[in-house]
Amino acid sequence: MSRVRSSLIGSSVPKLDAAKRVIGDARYMDDLTLPRMLHGKILRADRPSARILGIDTSRAEVMEGVRAVITAADIPNHSFGHGRDNTPLKGEVVRCIRDEIAAVAADTPEQAEAACRRIEVKYGDLPPILTTDAARASGARAIHGDHPENVALTYHYDHGEVEQGRRASAHVVESTFHLRYVTHCCLGVSGVVASFDGEGKLTIWSQTQVPFLYRRDLAAIVGLDPRDIRVIQPFIGGAFGSKLDIYPFEPICVHLAQVTRRPVKILFSREEEFVASPTRQPAEIRCSMGCDADGNLTFREADLVLDNGGYTSWGATTPFVMMQTFSSLYRVPHVRFDAEVVYTNNPYAGSFRGYGNLQASFTVESLIDELADRVGMDPLELRLQNAQEQGEVTGQGMVISSCGFRECLEGSTTAARWKEKREEYRQQTGRVRRGIGMASMLHVGGGAKIYRSDGCGSILKLDDFGAVTLITGASEIGQGSETALAMITAEELGVKLEVVRVVNDDSEIRPWDVGVHASRTTFIAGNSARLAARAAREKLLKAAARLVERPEQELTIEDGEVLEQATGKHVMSVPKVIRSLHFQDKSELVVTNAYYEPPSVAQDEKFKGNVSATYAWATQVAEVEVDMDTGIIRVLKISAAHDVGRVINRLGCEGQVEGGIAMGMGYTLSEELLVQEGRVRNPCFRDYKIMTAPDMPEIELILVESLDEEGPFGAKGLGEAPAICTAPAIVNAVKSATGRRFTGLPITPERGAREFMKDAQ
Amino acid sequence: MVRIECYSAPTSLREALQLLAKYGDRARVLAGGTDLVLRLEGVDRDLEGALVNIKQVPGLVGVRAVDDVYRIGALTTVTELREDPVVAEHMPVLADICDHFASGQIRNAATIGGNLVNASPAADLAVPLLLLDARVRLASLEGDQPRERELSLGDFFRGPGVTALEAGELLTAVVVPRPPPGFRARMRKAGTRPAMDISIVSVGVGFCVDGGLIRDARVALGATAPTPLRCPAAEKTLEGRPPDAATARAAAQSAVEAARPIDDVRASAWYRRHLVRVHLEREVLHVGRG
Repeated sequence: MSRVRSSLIGSSVPKLDAAKRVIGDARYMDDLTLPRMLHGKILRADRPSARILGIDTSRAEVMEGVRAVITAADIPNHSFGHGRDNTPLKGEVVRCIRDEIAAVAADTPEQAEAACRRIEVKYGDLPPILTTDAARASGARAIHGDHPENVALTYHYDHGEVEQGRRASAHVVESTFHLRYVTHCCLGVSGVVASFDGEGKLTIWSQTQVPFLYRRDLAAIVGLDPRDIRVIQPFIGGAFGSKLDIYPFEPICVHLAQVTRRPVKILFSREEEFVASPTRQPAEIRCSMGCDADGNLTFREADLVLDNGGYTSWGATTPFVMMQTFSSLYRVPHVRFDAEVVYTNNPYAGSFRGYGNLQASFTVESLIDELADRVGMDPLELRLQNAQEQGEVTGQGMVISSCGFRECLEGSTTAARWKEKREEYRQQTGRVRRGIGMASMLHVGGGAKIYRSDGCGSILKLDDFGAVTLITGASEIGQGSETALAMITAEELGVKLEVVRVVNDDSEIRPWDVGVHASRTTFIAGNSARLAARAAREKLLKAAARLVERPEQELTIEDGEVLEQATGKHVMSVPKVIRSLHFQDKSELVVTNAYYEPPSVAQDEKFKGNVSATYAWATQVAEVEVDMDTGIIRVLKISAAHDVGRVINRLGCEGQVEGGIAMGMGYTLSEELLVQEGRVRNPCFRDYKIMTAPDMPEIELILVESLDEEGPFGAKGLGEAPAICTAPAIVNAVKSATGRRFTGLPITPERGAREFMKDAQ
Repeated sequence: MVRIECYSAPTSLREALQLLAKYGDRARVLAGGTDLVLRLEGVDRDLEGALVNIKQVPGLVGVRAVDDVYRIGALTTVTELREDPVVAEHMPVLADICDHFASGQIRNAATIGGNLVNASPAADLAVPLLLLDARVRLASLEGDQPRERELSLGDFFRGPGVTALEAGELLTAVVVPRPPPGFRARMRKAGTRPAMDISIVSVGVGFCVDGGLIRDARVALGATAPTPLRCPAAEKTLEGRPPDAATARAAAQSAVEAARPIDDVRASAWYRRHLVRVHLEREVLHVGRG
């Protein structure tokens, strides 16, 4: 009789750090304090475009409690950022509202702030360039001298012959879509603590998502040897991509600590967080798409203009992800994609959960519905007909290894009672109408080979009491990686979850990892942890076999005990095996390590190649109720089906999907950072409206398990996916309810009312 | 950042008024603090006067029926209003709005007096209290003794953040006359989301129906002018007519004409007018249906 073993994988486990967070034991940046620590504040330009004519810090320097005042002239001020176009402090030119002009370190934050207000800066205002059109107009002033056309980056991608696709089309739809500014709204505001020891070595407490790249970048900016920088991440109150870049406040804090020879902390106010942290890329996207008379997609063409703002962050590379959706969401034989990233004097955009895919999926999925209308097909049928299956290779060279696309389309629509509701909501005429709409998405699910390595290292240490410590390169930013990695380790090793601890906060001891991005942690760090656990398990089994003089194959490890494989009979405890290794003549520790590099490739210069080890799929169906008079759109239900490969932590998956939908709904209906004349007009939660609990609809979640061959226990990435296709699902539902197609977001009640008024007239 | 010269928590009204008299317009009253704290980080950032915490002053909490009026102490919190049986029975429109007021945590702290003194054009409690013909009682020192004067709420509001409250005066109570028998009122708060939102506009309607015709009509609007206000033109339109669709449309038209909304980050003047029309029309019919 074979024994059935209960598996941790797929169970619902509360986040390991949940209790700490709930009882207030978690120390966030806000809580950190060091002996003799000073507080830094930054003086910002508060104007979008100007020449800096002079800075007088003399009145600030003599104020009570002030220990240092620095300007661009006082520090090396090396350029940095993805485009090497940013500097910690600005000495000559102001290019956006948040620009850092000077910084103060003082005994208290209040003194530092008061001193900032006493710094006198003479500006010669320049007419700001506020739109991408104005920036590209002939004769426009160059915002950065080395980019006379104001174009920071361009991207071109194609496969097939678009003209051939057009000729083969029975139906063609085309539209221009406008996406505006939104921002991350992390509960924990940005902050940093920098402290030098007597030997000039720096310890920096940072919220970064990419501690190892951060160490290298920071070293270059402030002129230190990377070996002399230790990065510690305290509890991080949300990142969502916002901490992928390094920002001026971080090197500024280091310089203040250097000058004062004391630890310095910079912590943003909420207003500063809204003004001086990155946004999602505003985009103007013109896209056309065709299909034949039977609904088979023929071609897709897209021209994008992204507002880069004043500087180039990693976020300027989002077209790299956008093109994957344009090239490969559904089978499309002919595709062309062109994107321009344009400098303006607006706040600068950065990386944000979904990394361009929200804008891309909004465009593609809106037009798919329009095509279905033209052909006279049910949007579900058109999607099913063009959905990829396992084994296909997309035009861009993405290999669809495991594929739950069809299951996502079917699962979500079944849960939503798609056909029945569509019939029910046809032809409404009242002032309150209901509708149902759907949208799908494709995103990397097995990392993304952007850097030379997309790997992650793990060290596993078992002590003589059987406690297991996983030292991982992966960072915890609230997404639950710590818990998923502990579960994978416990399962592979054969120990109880309670004995596993995860160390993931100190660059001094952790092995390398590229960072938290591209929904990669469960897949990459999970595989890495699993490999280290497998090595430890083999070592334990070998030792146990030697001790009891039996073949290894007859033994197994479960729940921290070595058992007889066939019968489950107890042989000895794991701690005993460890001690027998450790405290014998040829003493040996049970410490293993692993580095996992996914079998993906860096794309070639034409952006082709299998950039991820696997891909994630999802479909969301939205049911809405629209008040045609007030313009208020209420989401009644979201049925979300996500291909996660295999569920590791069910509770974690549910949390990611629900949070992602809240973010996606905000993007669709209420969130907008109002940028006018280069200024942020609503830098507060009173006027920047994120979803609150009563806004949230019923969410029915279908987790599709396509069991990826390469993923840990079959899992693939889920982090970004849930936010990606919520907007087009809702907008398609609004179209079905009202007959009105919205090509811009967010659809605030006012924008809705204006559109629906047309209908009343 | 604030450099407060004096923080005090007086235990009698007289003591509180003495402090307010001493510091004049350099004094700020702390009750729930939900608006005050925002001011201290904003417009009152450089305040160097006194912070007078009045939470220890006796007699400023609770709802009582006195003769033919209801007296609501200035320190009564929004949560207390929401749960008060007298309010529920006699002023249900006030209880209703408390359910849509900010969030639970803020409702537990915010007071009726603070909401009125802050004088936001969008103050949630202003519209129902205007519908109820509420008056405010303002105390100050005369010689060494407290004295009180009474003002209608309409006269109390003077502009955004500006009231008739003079230096040295403290709002101690809101007085609501017993509404006429059969008086029904409703209020609608229009915003982007159902909770944690500042009204884009708020619209209130109340009347009695006598022999099929409207009597004692009252209409109040929030966030459509520098202060929350009553709308006599719309009231006149309603008076003596049946509460039907034509009346509702006509009253909505009067209110739209009377409204003087602005464009700001929350909405355009156009949308505010549009919402006044939509909601007033709906609410007149609602109240008429009973």
